[in-house]
Amino acid sequence: MEETVIRVLDLYKSFNSHRVLDGINLEIERGKITVIIGKSGGGKSVLMKHLIGLMKPDRGEIWIDGVEITRLKERELNKVRRKFGMLFQEAALFDSMNVMENVEFPLREHTSMPLKEIRRTADDRLREVGLLGFGDKMPSELSGGMKKRVGLARALALDPEMILFDEPTSALDPIISLTIQDLIKETQMLLKKTYVVISHDIAGMFRIADKVAMLYEGKIIAFGTPEEVKKNPDEAVQEFLRATGMPGFVGGGV
Amino acid sequence: MTTELKVGIVVLISIALLFYMSVRIGKFGGLMQQGYELKVNFENVGGLDNKSPVQVAGVEVGQVKDIKLRKYHARVTLIITPGVKIPKDSKAAIKSFGILGDKYLEIIPGQSAQHLKDRDTIENVTAYADYDELFDTVSQAAKSFGRTMDDLNSLLGEKEKQDIRSAFQNIQQAAGEFKGLIADNRDNVAVITTNLAVASEQFQPLVQKAEATFSGVNEIVQGVKEGKGTLGLLVKDDKLYKDASQTVASLQSISSDINQGKGSLGMLMKDDSLYLDAKETVKNLRDMTDGINRGEGTLGKLVKDPTLAVEAEKTMKKVQKAAEGVQEQTPITILGTIFGILF
Amino acid sequence: MNSVVAPLRKFATEFGAIWLLFLDTVYWTFRSRLKLGYLFKQMEFVGVRSLGVVIITGGFTGMVLALQTYYGFRKFSSEGMVGATVALSMTRELGPVLTGLMVTGRAGSAMAAQLGSMRVTEQIDALTVMALSPIKYLIVPRVLASLFMLPVLTIISDFVGIVGGYLVGVKMLSINEGVFMARMIKYVTLDDIYNGLVKAAVFGVLLSLISCYKGFNTKGGAEGVGQSTTQAVVYSSIAILISDYILTSLMW
Ligand SMILES: Nc1ncnc2c1ncn2[C@@H]1O[C@H](COP(=O)(O)OP(=O)(O)OP(=O)(O)O)[C@@H](O)[C@H]1O
Ligand SMILES: [Mg+2]
Repeated sequence: MEETVIRVLDLYKSFNSHRVLDGINLEIERGKITVIIGKSGGGKSVLMKHLIGLMKPDRGEIWIDGVEITRLKERELNKVRRKFGMLFQEAALFDSMNVMENVEFPLREHTSMPLKEIRRTADDRLREVGLLGFGDKMPSELSGGMKKRVGLARALALDPEMILFDEPTSALDPIISLTIQDLIKETQMLLKKTYVVISHDIAGMFRIADKVAMLYEGKIIAFGTPEEVKKNPDEAVQEFLRATGMPGFVGGGV
Repeated sequence: MTTELKVGIVVLISIALLFYMSVRIGKFGGLMQQGYELKVNFENVGGLDNKSPVQVAGVEVGQVKDIKLRKYHARVTLIITPGVKIPKDSKAAIKSFGILGDKYLEIIPGQSAQHLKDRDTIENVTAYADYDELFDTVSQAAKSFGRTMDDLNSLLGEKEKQDIRSAFQNIQQAAGEFKGLIADNRDNVAVITTNLAVASEQFQPLVQKAEATFSGVNEIVQGVKEGKGTLGLLVKDDKLYKDASQTVASLQSISSDINQGKGSLGMLMKDDSLYLDAKETVKNLRDMTDGINRGEGTLGKLVKDPTLAVEAEKTMKKVQKAAEGVQEQTPITILGTIFGILF
Repeated sequence: MNSVVAPLRKFATEFGAIWLLFLDTVYWTFRSRLKLGYLFKQMEFVGVRSLGVVIITGGFTGMVLALQTYYGFRKFSSEGMVGATVALSMTRELGPVLTGLMVTGRAGSAMAAQLGSMRVTEQIDALTVMALSPIKYLIVPRVLASLFMLPVLTIISDFVGIVGGYLVGVKMLSINEGVFMARMIKYVTLDDIYNGLVKAAVFGVLLSLISCYKGFNTKGGAEGVGQSTTQAVVYSSIAILISDYILTSLMW
């Protein structure tokens, strides 16, 4: 009795003559972690930006909670966006604000929480990503991985219904990477949120994913539980999995 | 310093500056008008405005607050900066910043130890040496002389007619030369005007003298008409004729001097000799009339002759035209004044 | 043919886009509570930090004006007009225009660069995703700050320019102070000052709007940011000069 919360129908998008999305069909279930994998430059980030209305498709529909968003006006679109949090691939921290202000920002703008509580929540989030005490730093003073974690803290700050993570663990060392995976999994389990995660960290993500979708040449060529995807006979899928070089994958004879 | 404080300081400073500039421009009236009031009555305040500056020795000490018409006189109310003391016997005059400039009110301080108080009136008013006015005086003098000449001509005789005619022709020629001279010296007009203020003041008494002379001539003519004096005596005496032609000759020599380029007009103006020459001429004229008064002269030769009268009138017109030509070129030229005085 | 149509088309498109951005800005100005913190920050940036350059340019312009007009007026023996000329030029034209151009160079370029880099690092997208209007958060404070601060800077520029003219005219060239001031006071009216301030406000809106537009629509990374910045300065300056002509002819 899975409930589809995001449904993508026949989505096409080209930049100039370069076709990036070539008829995407995808269903994302409520309260699950869906991981999107695919090769670099394959259009994963583009797809994600469509989900939140940052890009308009050439053709196709996107339904979120029963609302078709591709033709919505900015105002209605903002109502839909209020349900989302997003971690950008490059973190997209506001560089005029320090770390604490960045994390506090969505809380200040969207809630009427007293300042103290905002501060406490932001502190909690920073602690979860292992950056407690970095509140006074400016984004320009952080490393790439630290920025990523601040971005993550900011995306989690409002506890939105759905969060889109664009490569949450890239640029992180294996240990922190593991912590972040656990953080994502735990918060998701605890709050029953819908998470969409883009990642190249196949081994890691397969650990926490409920569903995996593989984007290849503008289409979703594999979709299912991690186990199902591993068993997918498609040559492109198998090649992609094999390339990770991790032992234990189906067909990936060590 | 917080952001708000910095912005606040800058905005406040700018508001203060705006306020200050607005007040200085004086359109916020009431705030500016501090000080005590003085009143002055003028015949004519043409060109003076509310807010026109009041100066003492070139320093602004207040402004005109109000100008009202009172019994066909202009009553000007001034606001004088507190602390500036104006002696009781001070004079007020309307002057202008340069020839083309705006009018302002100049107070020429007197010697009195007593000072004017709030609402007092400055009693001494210097009639403004207005250039237009000066011209008026000159042309009036010229006209009265013209009338005198008419009367005189009606008494002139046949031979004298010839002599005087040639004399007038000389004058005519001289006038023509002057005219050409003025045209040649157009460029120097700017320089002339600079010297004008001084010159006009010097000429003021001269004009008065000339007027007195003309009225003297008038008197003689009147006397002759009424039959006073001995015509027989006058007939024997050639002095008047000689004086007249001498005058013309000296006038001619001045003009030809100028024509020959002995110094630019500007130099001539600075040179007192021209002024002295002019003075001399007027004196001669006066001597002549005095002579006539005393019964000397050529009046015996005078016979009625209409042609001579016509000739004389023509000449006068030409002279006047020349003067107008001068007027056209500049609000005033010294030459215009000279012409006025001489005729 | 296309070489004529294409640029015209581009110009019309940009013009329309800037106009729409203006309407959006007005809409967001009134639609929601002003973000005073952002506004003050921008006012400091546009106003307080431009103070130095405005004072220097205003002062020297006034001084040069006095020097230059003095040599002209001396030929007519009306040196007293120098004060009025300096004051009128400063209040009517040079104060607002110089301030506009200086702020364009200092703050307009920075606006384009800031918004441009926010665009290419997806910070603007991040705002959008948070369902917060980038126009409200980024553009409204900048445009309002420019609208308020340009007149403020212009007053200061006017004043400093006149003081500069006074120093050169009265103290250096020994023009009679009474005449200098009297003429200035006589010929400058409040309208001259206020019209100048209206101009300054218009310039403020123009330069901030154009600079924000250019930054907002930056494409292509750091190089794109550089391009946007250059274009912002060029377009804003041109817009200021053209609108100055129009405003002058309307106000005269
Ligand atoms: N704004 C844009 N304008 C033009 N082309 C774009 C734009 N955004 C993305 N593309 C193109 O779309 C393609 C997909 O880009 P996208 O960022 O979605 O890749 P990705 O799958 O996220 O890759 P990665 O894993 O490296 O992040 C790329 O070829 C890129 O050049
Ligand atoms: Mg990507």
